[in-house]
Amino acid sequence: MSEQLKFVQLEMMVVALGLIVLIADLVMPPSKRRLIGHLSAVALGLIFLFSLRDSYVGLINESTDLFFNSRYKIDGLAIFFKRFFILAAIFVLIFAVDFADRIRSGISEYYAFIIFALAGMMFAASANDFSMLFVSIELITVTFYILVSYQRHRLQSLEAGVKYLILGAVSSAFMIYGIALVFGEAGSLKFEDINAKQSELLGSKVFLFGMLFLFAGLAFKISAFPFQVWAPDVYQGAPTPTTAFLSLGSKAAGFVLLIRLLVFTIPDLTREWTVLLIGISAVTILYGNLCALPQRNLKRLLAYSGIANAGYLLMGIVAQSEDGTAAILYYLAGYLFALMTVFLIINLITKEGEGEDISCLENLNKRSPFLAAAMTLAAISLAGIPPLAGFFGKFLLIKSVAVEAFGNTGYFVLLAVAVFGVVISIYYYFGIVRAIFWNHKADDKTPIFVVVPIRFALICCFAGMLYLGLLPNKPMKWVESAAVSLIKTTAE
Amino acid sequence: MIEPTLSHYLLVSGALFSIGLLGVIVRRNLLIIYMSLELMLNSANVALVAMSRFNGNLDGQVMVFFIITVAAAEVAVGLALIVALYRKRQTTEVEDLASMKL
Repeated sequence: MSEQLKFVQLEMMVVALGLIVLIADLVMPPSKRRLIGHLSAVALGLIFLFSLRDSYVGLINESTDLFFNSRYKIDGLAIFFKRFFILAAIFVLIFAVDFADRIRSGISEYYAFIIFALAGMMFAASANDFSMLFVSIELITVTFYILVSYQRHRLQSLEAGVKYLILGAVSSAFMIYGIALVFGEAGSLKFEDINAKQSELLGSKVFLFGMLFLFAGLAFKISAFPFQVWAPDVYQGAPTPTTAFLSLGSKAAGFVLLIRLLVFTIPDLTREWTVLLIGISAVTILYGNLCALPQRNLKRLLAYSGIANAGYLLMGIVAQSEDGTAAILYYLAGYLFALMTVFLIINLITKEGEGEDISCLENLNKRSPFLAAAMTLAAISLAGIPPLAGFFGKFLLIKSVAVEAFGNTGYFVLLAVAVFGVVISIYYYFGIVRAIFWNHKADDKTPIFVVVPIRFALICCFAGMLYLGLLPNKPMKWVESAAVSLIKTTAE
Repeated sequence: MIEPTLSHYLLVSGALFSIGLLGVIVRRNLLIIYMSLELMLNSANVALVAMSRFNGNLDGQVMVFFIITVAAAEVAVGLALIVALYRKRQTTEVEDLASMKL
């Protein structure tokens, strides 16, 4: 038993780190608290290196049947997402240290909650059972209620927190009601049992109804179409590091569970629901892109672009193939670097209390050429223009759907919508670039000072975007091997 | 006297879920909305326990413990948030939550 704890070693390290941060807060003098954030980022970096070790990756081949009764799975997909989450959390922690002055109360707990949310995401990456799915999703959501409303002195932050709380709780109520119905029909909470029985379960209305409720709960997490209403307000009101973590970590956690459920556990149901998924994906892309057009607030704009991106990512699930899953992973990796850059820069150029209006980007090329270049690259990557990471991700997603398209007109509609969405998105992303280089109404020419850790994070994101865009061969092999191991388990 | 069957329990749980959802949609006070949400969570508990009983599989009842625990954590966070909002705005009506519009 105890020797099998090695399956959860990464998660145990992360949870222990969170607890250590809480205790360190009591011991350290307030002037040294900044150090806690940097140290925990370094510790997460070590955990990331640990996840690269052969002895950890080798766990893929060992069975968890005895230990967690196959409720917990380590495969290529899980390990890929665990690394993705750790990387995102490192960036968010570096970000949060810079943001500390605006938090005003209990900064160390802020770090601790980021780390606990990370633990939830890592468990979600391995969830292979409905109880595991529910508890890990709730661990993420409940910590995010706190993270979103952390700036208690700002009304907007509290308001965003309450909106997220109410809508999040409705979605989790739907999710567990769905789980109850699925359990009643399948007689088991394990994904493997449901996988084995899927053909007979498909005939049951109760099971389909339960899956629909469950899908609603997960669609809320990724902000897909009918469940996207919370995103703009919450993204705008939350402290910027939380917004960054919400749009990367929380969304990716929703996607890893969707992949595991829809692509791996019940592919038959996904095939039956193709039209529904195509509809949701297409409407999400259109809604996000069209609503982003008139936005002036940068965080709100990114919320709508995040909704559109959820639509693009859903295309990979619609494709229901190894390629589709690999494309989702690739897209998410590119999205991580681009989005992180944008949020870091938004935080640098806005002062507390001022709106994150797009006009605050004016003169950026004079104030800091480095930031202007980074922001431009990130916008280009998000818009999906070659040769950056975003282009390659979108290309792979569209390709994965196009390969399946023959013989199904629905797929062609989705492809047309996706391409149309990309064209619209170029307009508003270039609004950002235009504000940087060609709008010079403001005379603010004060140079912006960038502290070393933030500079380091920006350079990492910069390198990541270029690497994933220019040299896609090696990362393609990584994501394909992550997706292949997934399909192999399906065949079992 | 009628022996209660699975469908009776499911009817009750479905009714509870619908009442809760209706409350969330119709009521305008955050605390009442929050109560309705708890009702929705508990309706799932009723369904899980009943199905567990009639399936002869205890997994569902164990799941209920998880749900109760998570719901307790959620209530603790949620009520704290609503109190913090009340201190700031002196109101718990949802109409007053409109400081962020386009």
